[in-house]
Amino acid sequence: MGNVSTDFRPLIILTFINHLIIEAPNGKVIMAAANVRSGVMVRRNRAFYASVAPFFAIFVAFSIFPVVFSFYLGLSDWDGFSEPEFVGLANYSRALQDPVFQKAIWNTLYLWFWSTILTVGLALGLAVMVNEYVLGGKTYFRLVFLLPLLVAPAIAAILLRVFFTSNGGIVNMLVGAAQGQPSYFNWLASEFWIKPLVVLLVIWRWTGWHMIIFLAGLQSIPRDIYEAARMDGVGRWAIFSRITLPLLFPSLAFSIITATLGGVQMFDEPFVLTQGQGGTNNSTTTLGMYLYATAFSQFDFGLGAAVSWYIFAAVVAFTLLHRSITKRLGA
Amino acid sequence: MRNLLANREKRFNLAVTVALFLMSLLFVLPLYWTAVFATRTLSEVFQFPPPIWFGSSMLDNYARIEAVFPPFRPIINSIIVAVPKTIGLVLVSALAGYGFARYVRAPGRGFLLGATFATLFFPPSLALIPFFLQMGWLGWLNTFWPLIVPAVASGFGVIWMYTYIGSTIPRELYEAAEMDGAKGFATFFFVVLPIIRPGLAALAVWTVIGTWNEFQLPLVVLGDGTLFTVPLALTTLSTTHYTDTPAVMLSTLMGLVPVFLLFALLSRQFIAGLTSGAVKS
Repeated sequence: MGNVSTDFRPLIILTFINHLIIEAPNGKVIMAAANVRSGVMVRRNRAFYASVAPFFAIFVAFSIFPVVFSFYLGLSDWDGFSEPEFVGLANYSRALQDPVFQKAIWNTLYLWFWSTILTVGLALGLAVMVNEYVLGGKTYFRLVFLLPLLVAPAIAAILLRVFFTSNGGIVNMLVGAAQGQPSYFNWLASEFWIKPLVVLLVIWRWTGWHMIIFLAGLQSIPRDIYEAARMDGVGRWAIFSRITLPLLFPSLAFSIITATLGGVQMFDEPFVLTQGQGGTNNSTTTLGMYLYATAFSQFDFGLGAAVSWYIFAAVVAFTLLHRSITKRLGA
Repeated sequence: MRNLLANREKRFNLAVTVALFLMSLLFVLPLYWTAVFATRTLSEVFQFPPPIWFGSSMLDNYARIEAVFPPFRPIINSIIVAVPKTIGLVLVSALAGYGFARYVRAPGRGFLLGATFATLFFPPSLALIPFFLQMGWLGWLNTFWPLIVPAVASGFGVIWMYTYIGSTIPRELYEAAEMDGAKGFATFFFVVLPIIRPGLAALAVWTVIGTWNEFQLPLVVLGDGTLFTVPLALTTLSTTHYTDTPAVMLSTLMGLVPVFLLFALLSRQFIAGLTSGAVKS
């Protein structure tokens, strides 16, 4: 909630796990040298609590409390004004029966699947090309694909709207030029095209980020493996599929879970692209948008809270699934 | 034979380089066109073929934006939010990270660290509705406080700083500082902070950019248009004045410039922050 950027969260999780593994022996050494006087201990403990106190005071008040309260809200019927009423799991079943919610699940899965596959695939290709085959300008390639990430999702959606406007938009001009007659196709109102447009936005913003992750992974692969393979006359495709891909597996797994966590919670891009409407017939209403609409347009706070727990369940499910897959494939 | 192979390889590499370069142009094109359109008149924007070089109508476009709203106001609003939040977040995170990294034997440390870590898995949407209600009770709706004060405590920032301090500061340093009679806080401010400056910079850059681009939270807590941060103000403008493409593009460009400047100055920290975890994997 209001944290730095959700974009970045899984990366730090990975770093943290690495850190625990690397630092664990260090902790033991300290334990062994623990013949300190108790006065010193008390002072040290006090110093510890003092240093983490500012963080936990704010964190408990504004992050932990809302989550606990959200659990209560999910079990209540409340519009924010009248007396809240305990309704058990009614909100959870009400959400499931709502066709718009069902559509939002489907839309979210569609956007998650295609944006993840295409972004990760493209970034992987680009990273391998930049790492192994490009003749020069590596720094340029590292930086240039990152630029779209600096553009807020909401602003990127504004730009996309301008370029895809039905009347005089640049895309329709190009289509018109290609087919020899003017095109006035309304991309943004199309039930079919609006989802690919959201995917396009995600690809544009995120490819550079994944590429940097892959480049970092590629650089940790020893060069002489490639030299040896090339000496033996192994083809480019075989080098990629037999050497690069397996050795890149940790980066790949990390990249996919990042894209997945972002995809499940997608809000800004489809919201701004459809001006908050979710497209024709809710064709690109995501779970996040459904939550927003129930809470802040219909003031059905209980239903909104229930939906947020469904999103949480999806995050947990995807994280567990990801863990079991990476374990089985033996990272 | 060898020569022939080498030649083929060279040609392949050349083709890859050219293809990648074209691809990179495709990625930059939307941004470039934004800049071009911002300097063109409305009729020029809708010409075919579309303009590919800058025009001379930027000031006219600016005047039209100014007639609707003060163009620098959202930028100032975003700065008012981003600067105190970033300073607070970096300091609070570094202090807590230092506590976790140094006092490894304090009772409850393991639990607190684990709990902080676990909260990283909580999607922000989980807290969105109760947070909104809470801000209402505090009377903080329609102010910048909800975007600054709660955001200072970032579980993510703490874990980052803990990891960073743990891997850059040798434990002997704490002992040396203690021998010299430095208390915990003095050690933090005069010994630890100067050493971890690169880590602070990386966290700060990411915080500023994340704040600049944040959309959902400001959308929920800010109702008053005069308080809108950059993405909100631009979204509103593009909805109400969607027919005036050059004005929309110019205001968008203005909102992007600060972030791109920051990136130009600190791209090294930006990328360092990005790969700090991935390199080890």
